[in-house]
Amino acid sequence: MNVPQHVSEESLIEYHLQESANEAAVRGHLEKCVQCAALSESIAETLRVFSGGPVPEANLERNWHRLRGNVSVLGTVRRRGLRLSPWLWWPAAGLVAAAIALAVVVFSVPRFRTARGADIATLHRPGPLSAKPTDPAIAQQLDSAERLLTEVNHTSGPLDEATRSQAHDLLLKNAVYIHDARAHGDLGTASVLEDLGRVLTNIDHAPDSDDSGWHLRLEWNTKGLLLDIRILRQNDARQ
Amino acid sequence: MDKSEIDAIRRILAGDRDQSRVLMDRHFQSVFRVAFRITGDETDAEEAAQEAFLRAYNKLSTFRQDSSFSTWITRIAMNTSINLVERRNRDLAHDGPRVADSYSALNGTVQVADENASPERLVFNAEATTLREAAMTALTPMERTAFTLRHMEDLPMAEIATALNLPVNSVKQAVFRAVGKLRRSLAPLAGGIR
Repeated sequence: MNVPQHVSEESLIEYHLQESANEAAVRGHLEKCVQCAALSESIAETLRVFSGGPVPEANLERNWHRLRGNVSVLGTVRRRGLRLSPWLWWPAAGLVAAAIALAVVVFSVPRFRTARGADIATLHRPGPLSAKPTDPAIAQQLDSAERLLTEVNHTSGPLDEATRSQAHDLLLKNAVYIHDARAHGDLGTASVLEDLGRVLTNIDHAPDSDDSGWHLRLEWNTKGLLLDIRILRQNDARQ
Repeated sequence: MDKSEIDAIRRILAGDRDQSRVLMDRHFQSVFRVAFRITGDETDAEEAAQEAFLRAYNKLSTFRQDSSFSTWITRIAMNTSINLVERRNRDLAHDGPRVADSYSALNGTVQVADENASPERLVFNAEATTLREAAMTALTPMERTAFTLRHMEDLPMAEIATALNLPVNSVKQAVFRAVGKLRRSLAPLAGGIR
């Protein structure tokens, strides 16, 4: 029988999770292709074995008492910082606008350079960043880093303590993973981890103030890095 | 969001912390459920759910009341649960040997002797359970979260992505990786699933 093309494992997983855009085509193919039907059955069996078991009932009373002891009384939040008299609003607004304009001019020069450099690097990159399956510990580091960087990119104010502490933890482990990746000859992953180390150091030493210039710089640095991390994780899914 | 919840939030913000019981009564079990799926452990799930409520309480002034409190608290719970799993993994990596099917100096695992002789079926079931648990533990927290919430809780990919602040494609890839890893982990049981 002439079967033109096999269905990928990803497409079969989508099919079993009712996410497939070509459900009829996949079903039709499975009726004809023994190899894909076997893979499909294996995926279905996996989903059956790992289907959700019962969830225990939470003890509401106990949890309430624990929570009650930990919450403080919330009141009207008093805004910290400088309070200006109304007659100073317009001069202050003028100063802020001038500062923003200056920041845009100063930071746009390196931005264009970085963007052009990133494009060239992408064009000359020989295929995927790494063809090696990622070490589970490194995979976890990359997953955590992706979540952290995405969150930081979406943060507008100063970073909270939990985010800083998470960046610090990731930074401490990062050097070990760079060493491991190099030791296994996985230079693509090692290079991404080195970039990650630089960005994590920036986050770890981020100023406490709501500095929009700092955020812009971080955003430019993380965009290319996030793309690299996602490419690595996508390659890993296909192996 | 119904009127009683809006009212409870307004009172909490005015200083009446006992009103948080109203929100807890309504949402704690569902938050705990999500946390249990992600952590796989009842005690950890309680801890993650409590932390989620505490964080929500402390950030209540930033909550936009035109959106759903349930979605908001579930989103926080997903993140506190993942953070807890990451913390646990880190402690496990630092704190010494783990129990596994076989001794491995490389992986730092040890074997525990089974003192009760069991019928063949029980042995097989125990082996299957151990394999299942080991396979789930081997997933990264993000893979585990994406897989359990999509497959076991039937949440849409888009909703999981929004909660984790990630692109939908990243969540999809995490689910693909999880199913792939879990499928391969079953090979010893099935006598060689492809």
